[in-house]
Amino acid sequence: MTDSDSEGAAPLAASVRADWSVLMARGQEGDERSYRQLLHGIAPYVRSLARRTGLSPEDCEDAVQDVLMTIHTIRHTYDPARPFGPWLVGVTRNRLADRLRRRARIWSRETELTEAHETLAAVETNSFEKAEQARRLRAAVAELPAGQREAVELLKLKEMSLKEAAAVTGQSEVALKVAVHRAVKRLRVLLGDEDA
Amino acid sequence: MREPASTDSLIASLAQGVAPVRRLRPPAMRGLAWIALAAVVIAVLASWRGLRADIGLQMADPAYWVQLLGAALTGICATFAVFEVSLPDRPRLWILLPAPAALFWATGFAYGCLGHWIAIPFGAPVLEDSERCLTTIVLATIPLGLVLWLMLRRTHSLRPSDSAWLGALAVAGFADTAHLLLHTVQASLLVLAVNVLPVAVIVIAGGLGGGRNLRLKTGG
Repeated sequence: MTDSDSEGAAPLAASVRADWSVLMARGQEGDERSYRQLLHGIAPYVRSLARRTGLSPEDCEDAVQDVLMTIHTIRHTYDPARPFGPWLVGVTRNRLADRLRRRARIWSRETELTEAHETLAAVETNSFEKAEQARRLRAAVAELPAGQREAVELLKLKEMSLKEAAAVTGQSEVALKVAVHRAVKRLRVLLGDEDA
Repeated sequence: MREPASTDSLIASLAQGVAPVRRLRPPAMRGLAWIALAAVVIAVLASWRGLRADIGLQMADPAYWVQLLGAALTGICATFAVFEVSLPDRPRLWILLPAPAALFWATGFAYGCLGHWIAIPFGAPVLEDSERCLTTIVLATIPLGLVLWLMLRRTHSLRPSDSAWLGALAVAGFADTAHLLLHTVQASLLVLAVNVLPVAVIVIAGGLGGGRNLRLKTGG
């Protein structure tokens, strides 16, 4: 039963761990400045752990934010008498594993849409130009990371409210807003500015 | 290093006006507190219902001791394990802690079941006894399960399925301890069914994402 951050994770200097431990202890007492310093300090380390799982850069950033929110929610579970490193790595690994499992589940249920799946009887849908635009948009949406794609589908295509989408996905409204914002930015790039 | 804008703003919003929090007590201390509650519940039930009539005879039977100690030790080990495993910095290997005691317990009740079936005289009031048994099991299970659930919810376990299983095992161990002290009817399997089956159903129905009530809710 050793420190769980000794395997796989980038090694942390003992002084850094001690500093983080002190900052976290102060954060638990409501010291805003120490807590902000801690979150800024750990974010790159969490990001480096997330990158090792093979997540795309966008997914990686979502994962970092998820870990930061988790740390915030369960900060009362950290015992300042114990090293901070294993606690941080434990939270990060568990949240990353949840994310990878969720992604694998979504992928296993998805089937790629072809034109045959999408053809509708309405005349306007048979317009070649519109069909081509729709195809490009679908392709661009399909290229989005799973979290962003889900957010776009629920909020933009199904026109759900933030509250409804949060209930469906289990994500916070803030996380959904961030995901849609990134998705729209990415779609602009994929489709070119004139189409966005 | 500069953070991406959205992560930067998230950090700012999390840190802004961060509220002081009451730290969790060490898991061993929380485990001891819950075990003390279990002892009180068993003592209250024993003073209300009285110990089983043949307790003196049973005390001389090694098989009874195997079963009683097995149940109590399973409850104790599962309690310490569940409070440890629900914290992110504790190794998951803690889930194995109750395994030897649970094996001991299972051996005891397998032997007890066999002995009981052979020993039941024709026409004995088994159903009536079983009803009293079930009441004891439920009366032990409800307060213990409820308090444990509340304690674990505060932990926001990142391993909710492990916590759910171990919690159910802890409650089952103590419920069976109460039952073995109070009743003559062999009902260890019933105790396990009452405590562990609902958890199994929830875990399986939740697509192995069990312990949903203990699951952390964030934006992830």
